[in-house]
Amino acid sequence: MRSPKGIQSLVRDYQLWIMILPAILVILVFNYIPMYGIQLAFRDFDFTKGLTGGEWRGLAYFEQFIDSYLFTDLMRNTFLISLASIVLGFPAPIILALILNQIRKKRMKKLMQTTVYLPHFISVIVLVGMLNVLLSSETGVVGHFMKSIGLGHINLLASTSTFIPVYVLSDIWQHCGWNSIIYLAALSAVDPQLYDAAKIDGASRWQTIRYVDIPALVPTIIILFILSMGSILSTGFEKIFLMQNALNLPVSEVIATYVYKIGIISNQFSLASAIGLFNTLINFVFLFAMNAISKRVSNTSLF
Amino acid sequence: MRKRVNVYISLFLVMAMLLAGCSGSGSGTDDSAEPPGNTSDKKVKLTAIMTKHALTKPLAEMEWLQKVEEAAGVEIEWQEITADWGQKKGTMLASGDIPDLFIGPNVITDADFAQFQGLFQDLSGMLDQAPNVQKMFNEKPDTKLIATQPDGKIYGLPKYQRFWPASASRQFINQKWLDELGLEMPTTWDELYEVLVAFKEKDANGNGDPNDEIPMDWPGGIGGYFNPAVMLGSMGITLTDGSPQGYFVEDGKVKNYLTDERYKTMVAFLHKLYQAGLINPEVFTHDYTKYQSVARGEGDTAKVGFTWGWVASDRFGQQLASQYASMPPLKATADYAGELSWSYDYYSLNYGTNHIVMSAKSKQKEAAMRFINELYAPEVGMQVLFGSIGPNIKDNGDGTYSVLPPADDKMDPGTWKWTSTMADNGAFYIPDSLELTLGTDMQEVLGQSEPLAEALEVDPEKDVFPGMFIKYSTMDNNTMSLNNTNVMNLAESSFAKWVTKGGIESEWDAYVKESEKAGLNQNLEIMQKYYDEYMSKN
Repeated sequence: MRSPKGIQSLVRDYQLWIMILPAILVILVFNYIPMYGIQLAFRDFDFTKGLTGGEWRGLAYFEQFIDSYLFTDLMRNTFLISLASIVLGFPAPIILALILNQIRKKRMKKLMQTTVYLPHFISVIVLVGMLNVLLSSETGVVGHFMKSIGLGHINLLASTSTFIPVYVLSDIWQHCGWNSIIYLAALSAVDPQLYDAAKIDGASRWQTIRYVDIPALVPTIIILFILSMGSILSTGFEKIFLMQNALNLPVSEVIATYVYKIGIISNQFSLASAIGLFNTLINFVFLFAMNAISKRVSNTSLF
Repeated sequence: MRKRVNVYISLFLVMAMLLAGCSGSGSGTDDSAEPPGNTSDKKVKLTAIMTKHALTKPLAEMEWLQKVEEAAGVEIEWQEITADWGQKKGTMLASGDIPDLFIGPNVITDADFAQFQGLFQDLSGMLDQAPNVQKMFNEKPDTKLIATQPDGKIYGLPKYQRFWPASASRQFINQKWLDELGLEMPTTWDELYEVLVAFKEKDANGNGDPNDEIPMDWPGGIGGYFNPAVMLGSMGITLTDGSPQGYFVEDGKVKNYLTDERYKTMVAFLHKLYQAGLINPEVFTHDYTKYQSVARGEGDTAKVGFTWGWVASDRFGQQLASQYASMPPLKATADYAGELSWSYDYYSLNYGTNHIVMSAKSKQKEAAMRFINELYAPEVGMQVLFGSIGPNIKDNGDGTYSVLPPADDKMDPGTWKWTSTMADNGAFYIPDSLELTLGTDMQEVLGQSEPLAEALEVDPEKDVFPGMFIKYSTMDNNTMSLNNTNVMNLAESSFAKWVTKGGIESEWDAYVKESEKAGLNQNLEIMQKYYDEYMSKN
């Protein structure tokens, strides 16, 4: 009984389907068709026979990665950086949105908003360059400041204990404002009557935030959190790679940078695809787990 | 309403015409349909990639190159690459869409030949079309050895230039600072320590600021040229080509210094220097450009006391070069009685692997071979290396030549050479019989190499790893490069940590075990096997 209904809806709503067709094509061509390359993770890459011609190796490349000497380090570093980014980076735009929402003067609010989201447009390369200049222990502003308060030579970019904080905090600085836009949009949908009612009931500013603003944000927060779980292991390659040096390598070598070194620099395409696929699978599991949990707990979910 | 629709339609038509015009002119310049082989009076068009130095001017501006192209009857469309060739190469080769020729130092590696079989032209059957290349093979049989794969095929041609010294790295100390502070040139590590402490504490450059001197500096990391790894020579280790991944040969055995007790001693010494504030605190985070600019100081004020480089004028700039003296290797301790050594780089400096490679898909193989033959002519060779006759080289008229000083007198001769021509990155052969007087920079290099001469009297048979002559199988190559990625990951971070924070004594044993687990032993076994095989053939 179902299928005729499907066709019926296709016929009935054909204008809608035509409108969505370009989007479907784009996703098919750029996201689904390239997936046939995944098989490279299961077979030897043989240049003469193309992507699909090499000999099947089964899970050999996955085993090679899991047995490899750097496996535990890579997993730990990738997890730590992702976890720190989520724990610190996720609430930051929410808090910022709540604060911006409290600003009453319209012009002031616009000015603040523009100021905090401008850094989002700085390219990663420039940003890391800025970090290098500012944090240099010899010539940088921060370096001089730390020397003047008696902390001595501390190179924040060259230490295993400061790499993650520098990475995460600079990321928050750069993207917090931009990411707060979606929360501000959610807040603007709150019915003004709710605020008035709260005021009449004698709610303080803090209580308005707690009982009006935050409940209004919860669905958005949950959806965005589930989405961010899907990228728990895909930490930004460029920024980490640019910030890497011999002194922070023990904490800064992550799956993405390792895939680059193995695949592009040492030409081991099959092993690199296997590592990449492994990474994606873990993201996939996290995404589904979080989605299922939130469906149970709060009835909000992606699918 | 009607009118508006008409406007839209005509706008659309105009746009369509414009688009058609664009694509029309695009196909108009497409001349790939030209029949191949017709070379009598028409120039053959070739495409080529050259990986050149960032300083090097556009290839189209090199006079000698235009003459070579003319003599070969070809016109080359160059693609010039100055950075990230390693990354671009992989994707380009995997796509199979490659130019007719590649030029550059090891531009396509033996590993690439093995992996991308059928993509590159085997030149061994075409050598009769290139008498100049044959001449090189006959006069310098080593070049043929370097070029030939285990199955007898030749995909990449080497270069040979004879003029270069036996080592790429020389050791420099600021003689002026020594004189001003009344110090002797150090001969042992302990004396070096004392000297560096004096440099740091006594305002050695005399500008009134006692804190701007950097007693010791290097480009960063461990291994490669201009690196403290050469100090292993103080305990008798002969590095090969700077040993970027630690491999060296001692008494016929392939070893790796990264797990050698002598390396432990050296790292401990470097930590002692670092702790005393004698090493640039940014040594592990700065890049080569910054290292270079720091070493060049400000005006007459030198900043760096002790470091390594190719030649003083390149490292410290023309203005400061005279302050520095080239030093012989130091002894590890005053009572060390063993031999001193250094980094032996003669082969990699004077020979080069795979400097020119041809595509197997090229439709113009004969023309490409004509171009290669012209490139390997003796008089062309010296121009590839030093620049065109005229602005860069003087033809003395009696069959001898001399390299001219830079036309731009603010530039040092080394920089001038790299600016004017392909230099060491080109493909060429300079026969030993060519009479060429070198420029001041090369004479300077040779002069500054003299303190190292004794240490470099090594037995190239037994103490130098013949890296260039050994061809690994694809399997072994893949295994080794994977292992090296892992080994170096550990080695680099450990080295940086031990130098800056110490702790090598307590962590050494665990580190050695980790390195072995990361694949070091497997690599040593593979390399030993190939080394023995190579030695038994000679």
